Parts: sequence; structure tokens; C-alpha cells
Amino acid sequence: MKQLTGMRVGLVLAAGLVTVGCTGQRANSEAVQRAEVAFQAVRDDSNVLRSAPKDVIRAGESLARAERLASYWGTGSDAQHYAYLSQRYSEIARERSQQMLNQQRLTKLQMDQQRLQLALRDSKLESVQQQGKWLEEQILALANVEADRGLVMTLGDVLFDTGEAQLKPQANRTILKLVQFLQLNPKRVVRIEGYTDNTGEKAFNLQLSTDRAQSVADTLVDLGIDESRIQVQGYGDAYPVDANASERGRAQNRRVEIVFSNAKGEMALPRG
Amino acid sequence: MNIQTMTAGALLALLAGCANDPAPTQQLRLADQTVEQARAVGATDDNEAMKMAVDKLVQARAQMVDENYKSARLNAEQAELDARLAEDQLLTAKGQEQIKVLEARIQRLRKQLGDMQ
Repeated sequence: MKQLTGMRVGLVLAAGLVTVGCTGQRANSEAVQRAEVAFQAVRDDSNVLRSAPKDVIRAGESLARAERLASYWGTGSDAQHYAYLSQRYSEIARERSQQMLNQQRLTKLQMDQQRLQLALRDSKLESVQQQGKWLEEQILALANVEADRGLVMTLGDVLFDTGEAQLKPQANRTILKLVQFLQLNPKRVVRIEGYTDNTGEKAFNLQLSTDRAQSVADTLVDLGIDESRIQVQGYGDAYPVDANASERGRAQNRRVEIVFSNAKGEMALPRG
Repeated sequence: MNIQTMTAGALLALLAGCANDPAPTQQLRLADQTVEQARAVGATDDNEAMKMAVDKLVQARAQMVDENYKSARLNAEQAELDARLAEDQLLTAKGQEQIKVLEARIQRLRKQLGDMQ
């Protein structure tokens, strides 16, 4: 079928050439000449031939008819009519060709778009990963690695008022970093441990240390961390990090410690 | 009036009918459909070819009534191609519009990518 169409195009083109060749000797009407110019342009355009072979054939057939009629007496208006049709077929063929070129350009642009969207997604992902890395560095800077307990971060006593369990606003930045870190590392879990100095009742200290640890845990939950990822433990005045003899030492001992699991969620056992 | 003159008259009438083109009913219907289709794609009188198609179709209909069948056929044939051209011009323009939109999107994507680096 395709071959047949091709042959027909060839034949009509040949016919068109012959008639175009003869036109010099004949005084054609302006309309016929215009149609000839239009037909030659589409005939010589391989894109037009490929996208609208039928319309090019019809343009050639109509043109041949117009030229024939123009050579007779008294058929001038008919010649003009077929010249008009030929011109229209040529114009339609040209539009079809432009549509095909548009379609090709659209396909290429769509591929470009997909490629760019993927690249953008990759690069956003990379930036999130970089952000995660930055955050991890921040957390590591705030934390220490202890041989038996792993990664431990200490919130100092300045973050609580004396005898109070409520976390002060100064802790917000650290807590927010902690939340982001846990969100970016969804497998990690934490144990929040409270400690006091040795002044005051042992039972009161145990309760206060538990309440302070719980207060930190509550804040994390409020900010969207799942409760199941958080353990809470109060140790009272046990496990001091400094001697309770000086005010400076006691201040060091009043603290909340956050013990992190490793990236797989494996956590060191609680103390004691 | 005798039978001879009646026969001659009938013959004359027949001859006149034959000399004239047949009524181009099919061609008119075709032109009608093509104009409708172009309109469905969105062609309006703003498009020069569409306006010509509509005008020629009106003329062709009037010529059908006047039994001027040859002119009706010519006008209908031209109206059909005018309407087809109008439709194709519109489809070409739509394609070009889509290209413009896509090119703008791609430029935005390129800019975002540039900003991230």
C-alpha cells in the first residue's frame, strides 16, 4: 500500500513536471501560475511528501486539470476553479507537514522534560541526604561516643529550673535538631535517662530525674516522634559524672542524657 | 396544442435538464460536514479560510435553490477545502501552543536545576 502510494506520488510528480515544463509557452491565468508555484514548493519538500502524500497528489491532479482547461477556449473560470483547489491542497499539505514536525518536536521536548524531572528529583534527594549528613554531624558534635553505651547526648542542668521537671525554652534548638535527626533516621530509637546531684531526698531525686526524662520524651512525642521509639528511665543521684563536693561538680551531675541506638535500632541495655 | 408540439416541448425540457449539471447534493453535504468539523475543532470567522468556507456554503445553498447547480458545485468544492485548511491551520497552531508551554516548563526545570548546583 505504501509502495503503491509512493508510485502514485512519483507518477503525479512526473506529470506535474511535464505540464510545468510546458507552461512557458502558454499564457496561464494568474491563479494557475500561483497554484503551480505552490505545488512545486510542496512537491520539492520531502517532509510534506512524507506527511501528506494524498494531498500532494490531489494538488498535482487539480493543477494538471487547471492547466488543461486553461489551454481551451471558454473554460477560463473552470481553470481558475481547479487552480484554486490545487492551491488549497498544497496549503493543506503544508499544514499537515508542519503538524508532523510539531509532533516530532513535542515528543523530543517531552523526553527532555522527563529527563530533567528525573535529574531534579535526584538532585533534591541528594540535597536531603546532604542535609541529613549535616544534621548527623551536628548531633555528633553535641554527643559523645561511650564504649559501653554508644552515642550519648547530654542536656545540661541549665535547661531545667531548680526542682522543676519542665524543659526551658533554651532547649528548643537542641530538641528540634534531635527531632529532625530521628525523622531522618527512622530506625534509630532512644532512651532518655534523668540524673540529679546528691542533695535532697533520694526518693525525691529519683522522681525528679524520671519526671525530667519524661518531660523531654513528651516534647519529642509532641513534635511527632513515635512513642514506641522512646524509653524513659530515672536514675536519681546514681552514676555521677563528677564529684558532688563542689557546686560545679553538682551542676555537671544534674542532667538528662539521651542514649541513641545504632542505625539498625539496636540499643545498649539500660544501666543497673 | 397537438401531440407533436407536446413531445417537442418534453424533449426540449429533457434536453435542458441534461445540459445543466446534476444537483450536487453529495458535494454540498460533504462541504457542510467539513465546515461543521472545522467548527468543532474551534475554527471561527476570525480565520480567513473559515470565513470563506462559510460564505461559499451560503452561496452554494442559494444557488441550489436557484437551480444554478454548476456554481453550487464549484462553491461547495471550494468551501470544503477552505474548511479543511482552516481546521488544519488550527491544529498546527494548537501544536505550536503546546510546544511553547512545554518549552516554558523545561526552562523552569533547567532554572531549578541550575539553582540547586
